[in-house]
This record gives sequence, structure tokens and C-alpha cells, in this order.
Amino acid sequence: MGNTIELDHVSKAFDGKTVIHGLSAAFEDGEFIAILGPSGCGKSTMLSMIAGLERITSGRILIGGTEVQNKAPKDRGCAMVFQNYALYPHMSVRENIGYALKVAGVPKEERHRRIAEAARVVELGDYLDRRPSALSGGQRQRVAIARAIVREPKVLLFDEPLSNLDAKLRHGMRMELSQLHRRIGATSVFVTHDQIEAMTLAGRVMLLNAGRIEQFASPHDLYHRPASTFVASFIGAPPMNLITVTGDGSALRLPDGTILADHGHTGGVTLGIRPEKIVTGAGTLLAKVLYREDLGSHCSLLVQLGGGQTILIASPFGTEIGAFDEIRFHFPTEQIHLFDTETGLRANS
Amino acid sequence: MRQTFYSGGWLYAALVAPILILIFTFFYLPVGLAFYWSFFLEKPFGGGSQFVGLENFARVLLDAGFWSSLWRTFLFMMLAASFGILLALLLALAADRGIRTSRIARNVLIWPKAIAGASIGIVFTFIFNPFLGLFAPLNEVFPGLWNPRIDGADAFATVVIAQVWTGIPFNFIILLSGLQTIPDTLIKAAAMDGASAWRRVRDIQLPLLTPQLFLTFVLEFVQTAVDPFGLIDTMTNGGPGDSTTLLIYKIYTDGFHSYDLSGAATQTVLLMLFVIAMVLVQFRLEKRVKYER
Repeated sequence: MGNTIELDHVSKAFDGKTVIHGLSAAFEDGEFIAILGPSGCGKSTMLSMIAGLERITSGRILIGGTEVQNKAPKDRGCAMVFQNYALYPHMSVRENIGYALKVAGVPKEERHRRIAEAARVVELGDYLDRRPSALSGGQRQRVAIARAIVREPKVLLFDEPLSNLDAKLRHGMRMELSQLHRRIGATSVFVTHDQIEAMTLAGRVMLLNAGRIEQFASPHDLYHRPASTFVASFIGAPPMNLITVTGDGSALRLPDGTILADHGHTGGVTLGIRPEKIVTGAGTLLAKVLYREDLGSHCSLLVQLGGGQTILIASPFGTEIGAFDEIRFHFPTEQIHLFDTETGLRANS
Repeated sequence: MRQTFYSGGWLYAALVAPILILIFTFFYLPVGLAFYWSFFLEKPFGGGSQFVGLENFARVLLDAGFWSSLWRTFLFMMLAASFGILLALLLALAADRGIRTSRIARNVLIWPKAIAGASIGIVFTFIFNPFLGLFAPLNEVFPGLWNPRIDGADAFATVVIAQVWTGIPFNFIILLSGLQTIPDTLIKAAAMDGASAWRRVRDIQLPLLTPQLFLTFVLEFVQTAVDPFGLIDTMTNGGPGDSTTLLIYKIYTDGFHSYDLSGAATQTVLLMLFVIAMVLVQFRLEKRVKYER
């Protein structure tokens, strides 16, 4: 079985209010999974339930094929890295890393060997005798990771571990986490609200919305084949444009009759297109730029379609378009995503 | 730091005056007078005093009654402070873990703080009454097993229990608030590290609770030295024999029943020095267990 994690109709309710709705998913052995979602979607609760810090209301959780939902955290073989590091302030770095081994009754010599090894992996060798209060944020994060890997856990859980670091450090830690995962190979679950972290680190991303899975797929699919309008508008910066249109069998039209794109769909539908996929400089559509942001690598243009709806266009670097200019553009048919207007679910294949 | 909010120096003085006057009249003045009187032989009904140097101290320190009551005071401080803190700690740990009914307990436990020592003494006299009280059934089976009116150890125990009971609420609040400042994630991290509930208390919560434990110990030591007067006066009057005559009660009887004003003043000074010494020892201990968050 390896160290797979299986969630089988897992539900969680706090005081009668359901926050996780019968969620099912399976994580492969050694996989790096990101749980992504806006705040309050239940992603941290999900992680706590896998760890055993939070009881589940119904359903089953299996780790390595064994049911663990009624087991104490220490019997599940998971290790966790917390958002605020949660280092024991009264212990030295060495004691922090070795605490789990001490509790488990590992002999002193082996303990010291493994502490040194874990400290080496996260490059912490010189700080072993310091207290956490004498360390910087990045160093504390390393201690927290060393503490998690020292027991050689089956499963590594990360609860937004990078959100307390500054942007530059975060990028560095992201790379290190990715390398660490490749070296250790433990099944890893990484909770974050930051889509870039999720997209760059994870093999597969579970996007949660209000306690339900919106999509569980590779970062590539999440971006290029969003399963719903929620995914489409959550992933990508700037997010995908969503426009309500009507198809007549040959073209998709705005309510005022303007043809937006050629497509064989008939009936009312929500059209989605990424700002960077809109081709500018040619085409049948003509609109005035209301607002323009120069981001260096590209420009972000806000334009108004007929009927008053505004969309964003990301124009590539070098195109000279000023604010209040009129621009021509068109939507390439192969770049168009269609979503059911009622349910928000993906309609085209 | 000089504040500019109150510009006039006089207004400043006027606002601080009430508390200064109170502290001076009810603390520094009596303490100063006790020191002063401990070097004089006071006449019991007033009208003159005579400087005797250290004679009062020599007399008190050579008195076996002083030493035995000082020993009892020490024993009382140790027992009452330890149990008062230990029980409060157990309750605080339980309340902190959010065990069922802890919310009610949290409220109920705080009320005893509002009851005067003398009232508590009277209630406990009833509870420990050998014929009507809690242990009366025990006495039916083993006659004479429990009688604080005759047995000095029983009497001492009743006063300790009453004192512990009055001490719990305050200690409970301090310790509970201390436990609640310990971040939840530390406890969770320890749970993930495999520590059982008891192990978490020992390795994480108690070390991080040291400042609050220290505070309660210091305050308990000062309180148990001075506070039990009301309890002793209502429950045992220092008896049977001298078995519950703590120093604070001996000072009162020596001074106001035997009219040995100089002796009482001298013992007051000695009690004060004793308490100061105990607290200093504790501060030395605290330096050893210090940590930084």
C-alpha cells in the first residue's frame, strides 16, 4: 500500500454547522499534494483531521490502507509543520528537533545522530544550541521542518508554512521544500491560500470551496482546463474573464448581438477566456481602454464590451497601447472555455 | 518620563495624595512604629517607654514559644501554599483543556475569593464539627478518630484546609490565564510529536507556566504568613494547647491579651524579616528556572 492517504466521505461539523461536506479523495504514495482555497474553505480543518488534531464527524481516513480516524495523532505516523512554527520556546534547537525522539524513547546516541542528520538536511548545523527566540523567521522554519522530518514520518503535513516569511525568503524556501520532498519522498500535504505556492510545489492540487472539492487535478489542468467558474476565477492572476453569452450554433453573441467568437454552441452559456489569450491588434471587436496597468512584462488593460461588461486583456510586452486608446482584438476559438451559466460547471470538453 | 497632560505640579500631588496617605497611615506608619517599639519597653496602659536596645529581641529569641510558633508558621506556609497551588493547578489544567462543565466551574471557583476569612472559619468549624460535621460518621465507627477540639494535629489540619480553600480561587485565575497564554499550536505540535496529555503538561505547559507559578508561590507565602489570623481566631483560638498558634496569632495574643506590647512589636519585626527572607530565597530560585519566550 505504501503511504497512501485516502479520504472516504469525510465530513466535519462544528456545533451543527457543516464545514466539510462528505469529501473523498486519494493521495498516492510519495505524492506532493496542495490543498488550496480561500480562507474559511476548510483546508486547515482538513489537514487537522488527517493529523488527528481534529475529530471527523463522519467518514473514514486511511493512511497506508489502515483506518486512522479514531487513532491519536501519535499513532498515525504524521508529522506537521505549523504556520507559526510552534517551536517550544524553552528548549534549544537540538531539544526541539529531538523532542519526538525523546518521547518515543529513542536511545540518546541514536537521537543525537538523527538530530544532526535532520539539521544537516535543512542546513541548521551551527544553531543547534540556540533557543528559538535567537533565530530569524527562516531559521525557525528550518527547525520546524527538521523537527518534522527527524522521525522519518510516513506523511508530512504543512499548514501554510511559508505565509509568515517575507516574499524573497518564501521563494527560496519553496525551492528547498520541493528539493526536500524529492529527497525524502514522504507523502506530503501542503495547505495554502497562495495559488503560486500550490501550483509550483504540488504534483496535484485540491482546490476547496466551502468544504467541497471544486477540482482535484494537476496544476496544468487547473489552469488550462478549469472544472468550474470558481476554479477559473480563483486560479491565475489576473483571473479568467467570464462573460455571459448566447450561442446560435455558429457564433457566441453578447446580449446586444455583438459576435464575440465563432463557436458551435447553442443556448445561453458563460464564456471564459484568460486575459493573456486574447489577441490584440486585429479582429472584429473594437473597444476603448478604460484603465491601463504597466507591469513590465506585460500590460493589463481594462476594456468595456458592448452591454457594459468590462474584461481584462493582458497585452504582451512591447505593444504600444495608451489609456483611452481604441483597440482591436478577438477571442481565438480554441482558447475559449464554456461553463454552464446555472451550475458554473465546465460545458465544453 | 514626564507627562504633559497635567501641567500643574500641585494637581499632580493632589491626585496621588489619597493613595499615598492610605499607604502611609496603614502600612509604613505601623511598620515603622513596630520597628521603633521593638527597641523600647512599652508600658501596657501607655504613659512612657524606656529604651532597652536589643533586649526585646534577646527575650523573644530565647523564648521556646516563639520558635515553636515560627516552626508552625513555616509548616503552615509550606502546606497551605503547596496544596493551594497544586489543587488550583489541577483545576486550571482541567479548565484549560475545556473539559465538560469547566465553564461553570470557572465561575464557581472564583466566588470563594469574595468571602471574609472569619466567615470561612465559621463555615469550616461546622463542616469539621466532630459530632455534626463531615467526619461525624467516621467518628461513629472509630470513636475519637477526628476531633479538632482535642487533637492538635486535627485542629492544624482544619486550619490548613480552610486556608487552602481560600487560596484556590486566586491561584486558579492566575494559573488559568497563564495556561491560556501558551499558544494552542505548541500543544498540538507536542501531540504530533507523540507526547501524551500528561507528558505535554510536564514538558510544555509547566515549564511555560513558571512565571505564573512563581507569582502564586510568592503571593501564597506572604498570604499564608499573615492571612490565617481570621481563620484561627474563629476556628481554634490558637488551640488546643498551642497547636494552631501561628506567629501572627501569637503576636495578637501577646499584644492584646497579655499586654506585652514590646514583645508583640518585636515578633512582628521578626515575622516580617522571615517573610522577606522566604521571598528572597524564591527569587533566587526563579533566576535558575528562567527562560525566554
